[in-house]
Amino acid sequence: MSDIIEDMLEEDTQKGMYMTFRSGKECFGIAIKYVNEIIGIQNITAIPEAEEYIKGLINLRGKIIPVIDIRLRFKQEPLQYNDRTCIIVIDVQSTVIGLIVEKIEEVVTIQDEDIDPPPKLVHGNAMNKYVWGLGKVGEAVKLLIDPDRLIKDEDLEFMEEAAEEAQAEEDAES
Amino acid sequence: MGQDFNTEGMLDIFLFESGQLIEKLDELVIEKKDAEAFDSDDINEIFRVMHTIKGSSGIMMFENITKVSHKLEDIFYYIRESQPDNIPHKELVGYVLDVSGFIAGELDKIRDGEEPDGDQSEIMKNLERFLKEIKNEIEKDDKKELPPENVYVAPTQFYIPPVSTENSHFYKIHMTYRPDTMMSNVRAYAATYALKEVAEDLLFTPEDILTNEESADVILKEGFKMLLQAQCSKDEILGMIDSSEVEKIDIFECTAKEYQLGFDSSSDENNMIIDLTSSVDEIEKKAEQEKKEPKPGDYVIKSKEVGKAKKLAKNENKQPKQAFISINVEKMDQLLDLIGEIVIAEAVVSQNPDLKVPGLELSNFNKATAQLMKITSDLQEVIMSMRMMPLNGTFQKMNRIVFDSARKLDKDIELVISGENTEVDKNIIENISDPLMHIIRNSVDHGIETKEDRIAAGKDPKGVIKLTAKNEGGKVLIVVEDDGQGLNKDKILAKARKNGLISKDIEYSDKEIFQFITLPGFSTKEKVTELSGRGVGMDVVVKNLGNIGGTLEIDSVQGKGSTMTLKIPLTLAIITGIVLKIGSSTFVVETNAVKEFVRVSEGTIIDNPTGDTAVRIRDEILPLVNLGEKYKIEGYEMDPERDIMAVLEHEGKKVCVFISSLIGEQEIVVKPIPDYFKKVQGISGCTQLGDGSVALILDVGGLI
Repeated sequence: MSDIIEDMLEEDTQKGMYMTFRSGKECFGIAIKYVNEIIGIQNITAIPEAEEYIKGLINLRGKIIPVIDIRLRFKQEPLQYNDRTCIIVIDVQSTVIGLIVEKIEEVVTIQDEDIDPPPKLVHGNAMNKYVWGLGKVGEAVKLLIDPDRLIKDEDLEFMEEAAEEAQAEEDAES
Repeated sequence: MGQDFNTEGMLDIFLFESGQLIEKLDELVIEKKDAEAFDSDDINEIFRVMHTIKGSSGIMMFENITKVSHKLEDIFYYIRESQPDNIPHKELVGYVLDVSGFIAGELDKIRDGEEPDGDQSEIMKNLERFLKEIKNEIEKDDKKELPPENVYVAPTQFYIPPVSTENSHFYKIHMTYRPDTMMSNVRAYAATYALKEVAEDLLFTPEDILTNEESADVILKEGFKMLLQAQCSKDEILGMIDSSEVEKIDIFECTAKEYQLGFDSSSDENNMIIDLTSSVDEIEKKAEQEKKEPKPGDYVIKSKEVGKAKKLAKNENKQPKQAFISINVEKMDQLLDLIGEIVIAEAVVSQNPDLKVPGLELSNFNKATAQLMKITSDLQEVIMSMRMMPLNGTFQKMNRIVFDSARKLDKDIELVISGENTEVDKNIIENISDPLMHIIRNSVDHGIETKEDRIAAGKDPKGVIKLTAKNEGGKVLIVVEDDGQGLNKDKILAKARKNGLISKDIEYSDKEIFQFITLPGFSTKEKVTELSGRGVGMDVVVKNLGNIGGTLEIDSVQGKGSTMTLKIPLTLAIITGIVLKIGSSTFVVETNAVKEFVRVSEGTIIDNPTGDTAVRIRDEILPLVNLGEKYKIEGYEMDPERDIMAVLEHEGKKVCVFISSLIGEQEIVVKPIPDYFKKVQGISGCTQLGDGSVALILDVGGLI
């Protein structure tokens, strides 16, 4: 019984809390319930034939997990790793995966009413795909990302959607 | 059926126990198949096995198993009691094997979560007929050997406690269940079952609580009565009986004399009532009993003539308990993983770069780490040995298969087993049984000729199949050798040609020709028999073996016989590997796959116009794979003058790769690459190295 209450409390205390990190000019947020831990940059073993943004494998205390580079994932310019580079270890539906980010910012609380849906921007901006909301914290805006979409390889989906849209445009023209 | 009753936890135990009993039974029967008859120990043992299975399947409500085992129990009860000496032994062996086969099949179904819906009626019919036959024989041939009469009429004459010591107490127990209790018969059985642990002797009425559902009503009406001889106190007995749904338990202590008198006279009246209220079946049964048919009762021991051999089923329980426990395999795997981690963590500590400060005094540290290393390596050995199981169980099964198939094909075949104590990993045992079965069946069906053919060929009419297991260089070899007709090379070649598998120009070695029979759909046997010849055998064998990292080698001399050699790794989880570097990337190759390391000069490398590269090493031309290029390893260029060439081999095929440097050989724990990655050709997994970094394991088969 007490476990359940604790769980509920934990859920409650975590609600609306986001871990924010910087990548390029933008500041991103990820719901804290997904975050397992933050570790420093480690030796990464590259895996052949993988996507460019999948950097490889690291050894997390005996557990071997894949890591992906957020900058490359968002199709930003790659950056040399340094002391400030961190790996956020997240757990999405039992897939444990590390996100390499250039700088961790802080943990912020954003109420649901302060979150707007992302505006429909021009095509080609890769990060739009992963952003589910814009969180307003004072003057700043945090781009809230959906880790589920982030770790899935939907390059295929992109292409399908692009094809569909092109088809739709053609239909509209004719 | 099983769902009606809360049997979830019991199901596993039931499957496990019954499975073991059936295996034991098979073993025993096969061992005695050529004997003239079962001796009294065997008969008791078979009776006991059937009795236990009947009881537990009854609790689990697997009716067909209960019925079949009950019938066989009847037969053996009859044999035990009347000791006829003219039983057709071969036939009896056949029936026992039929029953054990049927039960094993049903157990498999239950294990797979299916309903055990096998039809027992035919077996029942056969058993019934057999029982009648042997009875008639007896009555015809030897009137004196009739089982003692009036077995069930006068209980006072035959309830003799088997063991009686001064400390024994005698109890009469009367249990009354609440009137609305469901399945009181099963509950009553549970009570008797609980008491068996302590009981020196135990009788109860009604007796047919498991086989007759009507008995539930009787128990509700009359209560359930037990006579117990045990060394424990009243309170202990109370504690042992599950008292849920029980209205009242009366336990009276009595004297040995009273005890021997059996249930009191009123219970005899009760027995009468049972007859009046029970079904037609029951009455018929009773009537049959009156025709002097003995019926097995639970731990009811009849008085017998002096000197007649008897062994009480109860005695078995007196043996010291086996010091075994069963462990969830998952937990074992977890433990194995953790110990793998410890081994690596230990290397991380003992080879820590922080220790490499010049002039550091480390003698105490080194002593401590040496101690740690010893413990971890011991730990590793223990866990590995825990997972190791001898092959004899698997081999015993083969005995059964040879016997069955030989019987069907009317061949005379002896299976000679050796090295059955060779131990292999549990995973491997599970995966080896099917392939081995196929190979053995093939040998029986295709390998060994019919008796006539064998005599015509000047061979002993009795065929011999040798099944041998031995350890050899980190692998287990299981060899199946028959002295049959061998493989017909020309036939295989012709068939391969017909199927378009070969071009005419190439010369094939014998081994290569024999390997053709492992291809899907390849069977040279013109006639498909019940046992084999559908051409689905050998390819499945090779595939299953491949799953556990094993291979199959075939050798044969026409007219003399064939030899099938299964090569299986001892274990799957930990391998010895050679750690090497290509550029800045670290890889591991299984040591067994490495043929040699050589230096080659630029001139020996041949670029084919097709884009393939090959290299000439001594007299061989071998394909060369440039891993640096294939895996796009950064900052690495192949340089034959600088690099070392590794010659790798998989299933007799060789491939060469260039490596930058060799790090060393070590034991590694194989881990899968996370699902997140697409499957990369030539990489089978990853592992952690001593310094904590991750290395990829090269899969030589995938490079070829």
